[in-house]
Amino acid sequence: MTNDPESVDLSALDPARRPELWAGRMEATRRAVAAVLLERSRPPGPLEVLADWARPILAAAAVLLLLLGATAALLGPPAAPRPSEARRLALLSESAVIAGRAATGAEVRTALRRRAGT
Amino acid sequence: MEDSDASLVARVRRGEGPAADRLLERYFRPCRAVALAVTGSEDDADDACQEGFVAAMERIDSCRHPERFGGWLLQIVRNRARNLVRHRRVREAAPLDAGASDGRSPAADLEQAELRRRLLAALAELPEVQREVVLLHDLEDWKHHEIAKQLELPAGTVRSHLHHARRRLRLILGREEEA
Repeated sequence: MTNDPESVDLSALDPARRPELWAGRMEATRRAVAAVLLERSRPPGPLEVLADWARPILAAAAVLLLLLGATAALLGPPAAPRPSEARRLALLSESAVIAGRAATGAEVRTALRRRAGT
Repeated sequence: MEDSDASLVARVRRGEGPAADRLLERYFRPCRAVALAVTGSEDDADDACQEGFVAAMERIDSCRHPERFGGWLLQIVRNRARNLVRHRRVREAAPLDAGASDGRSPAADLEQAELRRRLLAALAELPEVQREVVLLHDLEDWKHHEIAKQLELPAGTVRSHLHHARRRLRLILGREEEA
């Protein structure tokens, strides 16, 4: 582009042609920026400090909960309670007490084996 | 020696108001030129550059390359201006300089307002990037290499945009005069 067309006079669009308006606009911006900087320099209040701590902790807790839930879902439902086994052991203990002796290992094994359906 | 953009940005991050003032003085006019290129309205451009500059100061920590602050700022202003255009408040009804005289006679004011209207109408016929280049070069006196750096364009592309923009503006304005 060796022979560039001559520039067009755009000075009619120069904001400085209205110096008071332009200076007012600059001043308003300067004030707004000063307020921003002041806000940045202000030490955080207790609630903001708390919020700063609470946010990551809550996020971590949510992730942990999610992981626990996923693990539980993978492992299946918890083992069902076994009331009959407890009852049989209680009955065995009761009869042993009445008989005035301790239940033998064979008797305990028998009671437990019955639970397994053997 | 002039402070670099990077050092001024570092000082703004430390909360130094004078550093922000220096950036304002350095970039407010170019911001306005970019906003004007997008909006085609001086009032909207004034709003967009003010809002954009304040937003940039609020987000100064997210300026990842402080040495390229100018380009980053102009992009924020450009986005603001585009938003303004999208949600444009109806301003067309108001004359360009309602209540803002340049201190001339009413006839001269009218002539200036007409000239501004013609210039803005002619600029509106250019692609946005050409408007930005011609305003930054011919109104803000930026050099080719400065425009290339801040707009992240090759210098040859900037020259080409400027050439086409000027030629087209001359053509449009000449056509109007003939008419």
